[in-house]
Amino acid sequence: MSTSTNILNIKNIEVTYDNVILALHDVSLKVPKGKVVALLGANGAGKSTTLKAVSTMLASERGKVTKGTIEYDGTSIEKQNPSQMVGLGMVQVLEGRRCFGHLTVEENIIAGAYSRKLSKGDINQELEKIYTYFIRLKERRKSQAAFTSGGEQQMIAVARAMMAKPKMLLLDEPTMGLAPQLVAEIFNIVKELNQKEGVSILLAEQNTNVALKNSDYGYIIETGRVMLDGTAQSLLSNDQVKELYLGISKKGRKNFRDVLKEESLTKKKIN
Amino acid sequence: MVEELLFFMEVLVGGLLAGTMYSLVALGFVLIFKASATFNFSQGAMVFFSVLAFVGFMQDFNIPFVLAFILAALLMVVVGLCTERFVLRPLMNASEDTVLMATIGLGYVLEGLAQAAWGVEVRRLDLGIGDFPVPWIADNLKLFISALDITAGLVAAIMIIGLFLLFKYTKIGLGLRAVADDAGAASSIGIPLKHIMLLVWSAAGVVALVAGCMWGARAGVQFALVDLALKALPVLIIGGFSSIPGAIIGGLIIGAVEKVLEVYIGPFFGGAIEGWAPYVLAIFFLLYRPEGLFGEKIIRRV
Repeated sequence: MSTSTNILNIKNIEVTYDNVILALHDVSLKVPKGKVVALLGANGAGKSTTLKAVSTMLASERGKVTKGTIEYDGTSIEKQNPSQMVGLGMVQVLEGRRCFGHLTVEENIIAGAYSRKLSKGDINQELEKIYTYFIRLKERRKSQAAFTSGGEQQMIAVARAMMAKPKMLLLDEPTMGLAPQLVAEIFNIVKELNQKEGVSILLAEQNTNVALKNSDYGYIIETGRVMLDGTAQSLLSNDQVKELYLGISKKGRKNFRDVLKEESLTKKKIN
Repeated sequence: MVEELLFFMEVLVGGLLAGTMYSLVALGFVLIFKASATFNFSQGAMVFFSVLAFVGFMQDFNIPFVLAFILAALLMVVVGLCTERFVLRPLMNASEDTVLMATIGLGYVLEGLAQAAWGVEVRRLDLGIGDFPVPWIADNLKLFISALDITAGLVAAIMIIGLFLLFKYTKIGLGLRAVADDAGAASSIGIPLKHIMLLVWSAAGVVALVAGCMWGARAGVQFALVDLALKALPVLIIGGFSSIPGAIIGGLIIGAVEKVLEVYIGPFFGGAIEGWAPYVLAIFFLLYRPEGLFGEKIIRRV
């Protein structure tokens, strides 16, 4: 993949929190323009940290990229802040939805257009367009966001991000705590946004199976390192992924690293 | 009997109107609490600083009333600007407690600056509105109500309507409400926190100036105005820290309750219960309705 076709290019980044806690050791990944890339791994593997490093939201949690580079749309993001990143077309949907609870559904979505200079008419036009993807939200536009369901809140969060007219979306666990039917609904919307609006997507998920089925490419990270990557198809049929992340296994539960260790041991034996 | 009722009405209305003066001070706290979830300990100093500057412009430089007021308002915007740049921005990712401590420091800086620039003696502020009963009301309704109290009531009403419109119908108002709900999420969709902070601190500064004018006209422009801000604490506890209508209603309640209690129950305690009665009321609120009357309940999905 040449750099021009990648909207996002992360090279060997290391991230520390509070100058001491090493959260990412060495993560490299690429997101080709117009594609959906899944970032998979368990709790604490570094998925959220990676996304926050990209959106520059790390600073607000006293985190810092201490090594490596992140290039977005051909330029380094090193000196940017979150609102500048939004201006450049990169919007993150934070983990846990984070709706503005006291605002109505519609106010939440309109707030997403804050960084753009739009007239009232333009905003209404954009809103109508957004509502075509999130039909459910249109019905609930006047309710207070805090009183909507978890699935609706996730939709609000994505709709809000879309109002900023992003070229790239970072979705942090969009299906967390949602019923399977809603998980499918959210992913359908994400797919649709990707295809119709041409938004490139990097999503962090624990729901490996659904995430890979809806992505083009996948990265698996564990304890701050990329352990495996490949096309979504190849990962879905990969034995190790099947065993560790999809729960299809004949043996007991194992750590990914143990599997690699076993592998290298068997290789040594053969040699 | 009629006379007693009239007297009660007089006490009540006088208390309510005096309460609007508390409301004005409390309003400044609410603005800042909404945006940064911090109790701004420097609000009292801001009241003192702004009104002293206003009086100073008029008396030391012979600047006309309106122009001096505008200058003082602009000065408060500059104070807001400097606060954002030199206090809040470096503490951007610090905890709320740290910011709280910083506001205490900011208070001392403002007090010191004000006194260094304008001196320490008590100054008289003449708004051209007397602090004595309005003859027309006294003649027709038999109520003795101060013109200054009525003015304060009107000013408070205008400010609350103005702020309400600002928050409800403007883009920056929407931004402020978003930041008040979740600052992290707000910055994730590109709402620049520093603009919001700047707006809030400037608005709080101007509100402080207005409150200072009212209090200064009544009690003289003096250092005691700083402590006046403490009276806003029970107002906020009753009204709710994050609610603008709450600040107004809370002020009214405190004003009315303290006057009525002072007149009817005060004698049993040897008088002067005005000073502590509001705090007793505040304690009851803390026990039974900690979010206040209008405070935003913390909404949690279970």
